[in-house]
Amino acid sequence: MKNEGVLWKILRLSVRAMTMLLLLAMLVPLAIIVILSLSDQSYLSFPPTAYSFRWYRSFLANSDYQSAIINSLTIGVSAAFLATVAGTLVAIAVIRGAIPGKDLLSTLMMAPAILPQIILAIGLYPISVLLSLNGTYWAVILAHAAVSIPFPFIAVCGALQGYSDRIEYAAMSLGASPRQTFRHITLPMIGPSVFSGFVFALAFSIDELVLAIFLTSPSTRTLPLLLWQQLNYQVTPEIAAAATALLTFTLLLILSATIVRRFSQQKYKVSGA
Amino acid sequence: MMMGIGKIKAGCAVAIRELTKEYYPIVAVAPTSVDVASGGFFAIIGPSGSGKSTLLGILAGYVQPTAGRVEVNGKDILSEPMYRRNIGMVFQNYALFPHMTVAENIAFPLKMRGLQKSEVTERVRHSLAMVRLEQYRDRKPGMLSGGQQQRVALARAAIYQPSLLLMDEPLGALDKNLRDEMQEEIKRFQQELGITVIYVTHDQQEAAFLADRIGIMKDGAMVQIGTPRELYERPTSRFVAGFLGEASVFAITGLSAGSEASATIEGGLSMRINPANAARGGKYVCIRPENVMIGQEAARLPNVYEGVITESLYTAGSVRYRITAPAGQSLVSRALPHTGFQLYETGRTVKFGWSPDDVCVIN
Repeated sequence: MKNEGVLWKILRLSVRAMTMLLLLAMLVPLAIIVILSLSDQSYLSFPPTAYSFRWYRSFLANSDYQSAIINSLTIGVSAAFLATVAGTLVAIAVIRGAIPGKDLLSTLMMAPAILPQIILAIGLYPISVLLSLNGTYWAVILAHAAVSIPFPFIAVCGALQGYSDRIEYAAMSLGASPRQTFRHITLPMIGPSVFSGFVFALAFSIDELVLAIFLTSPSTRTLPLLLWQQLNYQVTPEIAAAATALLTFTLLLILSATIVRRFSQQKYKVSGA
Repeated sequence: MMMGIGKIKAGCAVAIRELTKEYYPIVAVAPTSVDVASGGFFAIIGPSGSGKSTLLGILAGYVQPTAGRVEVNGKDILSEPMYRRNIGMVFQNYALFPHMTVAENIAFPLKMRGLQKSEVTERVRHSLAMVRLEQYRDRKPGMLSGGQQQRVALARAAIYQPSLLLMDEPLGALDKNLRDEMQEEIKRFQQELGITVIYVTHDQQEAAFLADRIGIMKDGAMVQIGTPRELYERPTSRFVAGFLGEASVFAITGLSAGSEASATIEGGLSMRINPANAARGGKYVCIRPENVMIGQEAARLPNVYEGVITESLYTAGSVRYRITAPAGQSLVSRALPHTGFQLYETGRTVKFGWSPDDVCVIN
């Protein structure tokens, strides 16, 4: 018995150590980027010898970055909106509907999360050329929407499975038409998940590089693509400042999704599952 | 209490005709016909999987029948979508809207019907008073106890004065004491509103307490319909006899009709039976425990035998005996322990018997 206890303790400690290592592997590079962005030097070296906000000022004044940020937001919000509408509707059809081939449809909806993006990018490129969409906003918006569909799809499927369809039947037995039932019951019930699906889709688009490389032109260039191009061209702490801005924005998005979810869980306990 | 607002609409008569549901190759509901009188309380009981909830789902509208007709006050409802049927339904686990308060839940059907805000407020206030939940009006359902949620569900399903109220095991999730209390409440509620109710449960005592007529379902078929008394005293099948209360059932080996009707059962025991019962014919005899007399009371009956008490169980308010006859037949007898009552111990040899009228011939 005592030996078992010791073994168990060793196992527990090593799992803990592994987790710490993984977290460090993620956090240390982030910390280095943030520190680099505060450098006062004109090249990237770690640790910086002097600190300032000059690269942030330079980043904000740079018209290339300005247009890349606007592009990223335009593309991200549009793509996330399309992905959320489509993902939510398919989730409702798959979980509540009586349609044939539900399993196949769910698998298809999940495919973009599993397929390598480089393959999608290579496949989408000739299509966007054929449709004369290449380099336009639509090319990258549609690609990002397609690839980020799993986020709202999974979130809304989870929300719908979290409460019984009896709640919708109850609404209809009480006189609510299918449209009223959707508006007054289904939508409020899945709302927080729709929102978090939207946020994750947006965060995905804002951070995405591979599809952007293939499908954007200089006028539709996104922030990650500009960063990538800058790295090949001039390596200044301005890149670190831009990367930190991107990182902060992504973190805020994910934080907002968490807050909404927490708040809605406090608001009501789901009963009758 | 509810009479102050709007007119009370008496319940509607329901006619179910040859209603069938098949999930090929399974027959969930075999062709079933039932009539429920206006203002009647009809309970459907049966083991799980007997099709009772499916039948209720067809009436509510979320299960599509394979064939059949359902008329409410002479009007076919199956062609209407569920939101236009004006049928109230209390679901198992209540199906309250968790994101709405108690008052919003109860107001929901009125809002869907586009009622004036002032009328909605007024009727919700009366409805809350009726189910005694005034002080909980702004709580979310998740903050209420099971019994309170049950009352919200009831108030919500009845506030628009539906033609028919359906209830699917509404007390299944409650503990015993609360269940008894809610039974009283449901009965009071139904009588006050004069509403027609179809009620599904697997609890035969609950059904007998609430309903004026009961239908017993087995394997998708309605095997017998009657008042609680008819079903208990005159079951037509072994299943009904065993499902509703306790019974001693024996296979018949010989049956003779006529004025001196009698039946012989397995083990060669013979008994006089009521000629009318004999004329009906059947494969088994069924005797209810309270009709099996012991000792003095048995001695003057036409069917009297001798046997040994093999089990004697005194519980609050009643005594249950198991008696074994010499040929091996085993019966259950129940007696009420009144003052001066004699308790027979296990192992004692006694006379026991029953009246010919108390023998049911069943299938």
